[in-house]
Amino acid sequence: MTNPSLVQINRLGKRFGDGPWVLDGLDLGVERGEFVSFIGPSGCGKSTLLRLIAGLTAPTQGELVVDGMTPANARELMFFVFQDANLLPWKRVAANVELPLLLRGDLAAKRQERVARMLDVVGLSGSADKFPWQLSGGMKMRVSIARALSVAPKILLLDEPFGALDEMTRDKLNEDLLAIRERDPFTGFFVTHSVTEAVFLSTRIVVLSANPGRIATTIHVPFPYPRTAELRETQPFLERLAVTAHALRAVRK
Amino acid sequence: MKRRLQSLIQPALTGVGLIALWYAAIRITRIPRYVLPAPHEILAAVWQEKSVLWTSAMVTARGAILGFLAAVGVGFLIAMVLGFSPRIKRSFYPYILVLQMMPVTILAPVFVLWLGQGLPSIVAITFMIGFFPVVANTTMGFISVDRNLQELFVMCKATRAQEIRYLRIPGAMPYFLTGMKIAGTLAPIGAIVGDFLAGSAHNGVGGIGYMTIVYFSQLRTPALFATGLVACLLGFIFVGGVNWLHWRLLHTWHESRVTAE
Repeated sequence: MTNPSLVQINRLGKRFGDGPWVLDGLDLGVERGEFVSFIGPSGCGKSTLLRLIAGLTAPTQGELVVDGMTPANARELMFFVFQDANLLPWKRVAANVELPLLLRGDLAAKRQERVARMLDVVGLSGSADKFPWQLSGGMKMRVSIARALSVAPKILLLDEPFGALDEMTRDKLNEDLLAIRERDPFTGFFVTHSVTEAVFLSTRIVVLSANPGRIATTIHVPFPYPRTAELRETQPFLERLAVTAHALRAVRK
Repeated sequence: MKRRLQSLIQPALTGVGLIALWYAAIRITRIPRYVLPAPHEILAAVWQEKSVLWTSAMVTARGAILGFLAAVGVGFLIAMVLGFSPRIKRSFYPYILVLQMMPVTILAPVFVLWLGQGLPSIVAITFMIGFFPVVANTTMGFISVDRNLQELFVMCKATRAQEIRYLRIPGAMPYFLTGMKIAGTLAPIGAIVGDFLAGSAHNGVGGIGYMTIVYFSQLRTPALFATGLVACLLGFIFVGGVNWLHWRLLHTWHESRVTAE
């Protein structure tokens, strides 16, 4: 193959109908095992970019290749974590986690085993029989992540999953997400507004500018995994934070 | 507990007050008893006519239940078709509205012509009164599925059948049950109207609607009022049953039924 990247984006452009260009002339190659965050002002098209990779919306211009396939054909490799937890309110926690396995036709015994393991991974084994309304925002998000990882996707797309949570919960979920990734590796795409979150999670931060959405800067985050909470207090981390915040401020003008 | 006691005592006091007012009105105005009977005379009529009233209540209940089931079942199926095909919805919805606008008093003779006097016509009339709320609400439920959940199913590569089974039908449940509740309140009324317009009698006893005509023609006013009392009871039982079903199916998860912890 001439194109070794797991996700390859060439001259990607997107507009809705006759509207303005939401994204324009994007080039990006992402390798297996990377964790890429998209950050930028409102309207920079970062959520749209994620939805394009997922194949939930089609490009207007350019091309997008996921593991040699169109996004729609590569769906088996991917899963999407939505902004709100997006759980089925009539199903209990375990059944929500089980849903993707059920839909792809896994056998009951295999499903049970996998659900039990995923709930254990996100620390919700005790809440398997609860309904979504009985859970806190952070717990709902954990269920959503367990559901996404139940199918062991190669690529996980996360659209501001922790945006509605308080900072402490968010930090904890960031740490847990990386811990999970140590056991069940995936290539991550992560949309966020939070600089701290982006630096803590990513191998690379793509800063987008708005109107139209373009890649302004790319920031590499060299810290090795596994990363733990202590990393946030180190000098190199704070420096990366400053660099990213500066880049973000530059595109806000 | 105190609240609960109050919610029993207060309506009971209102009831006592209304009955006292009723007796006072009869005393003061000297309305003839065949125009406005006293409450105890109505209760006496209930006792006297109990076997007739019981039989007619059963006849009406049968019409109401069958008509209700038809309205709910057929309504659900129609809603499913309308909800899944915007084209069919556009083509047929106006005619469903026409059917709904058609007064039952005009439909009743037509049903009698087609189906004859008796149960089939009564069921048809009950169905006509009850099916529209089921169709309208359930269709809305099938159409207004959460977009994010739909995309979740796209990401899972769900088939159309899976989407219907695991997302659309459970998602439409609250709407369907709302339609069902409305149909449930209408069904006993529909069956009584059906008795009234298309009822028939076995051994002189028909449904409640039929008996009102009989008692009215004989000017047996207390018995006439007694049919009203029986009709109310039947309605309460019916609505109670539907409400119970609503609770059964939704109380675990739906906002309308979940009590905050």
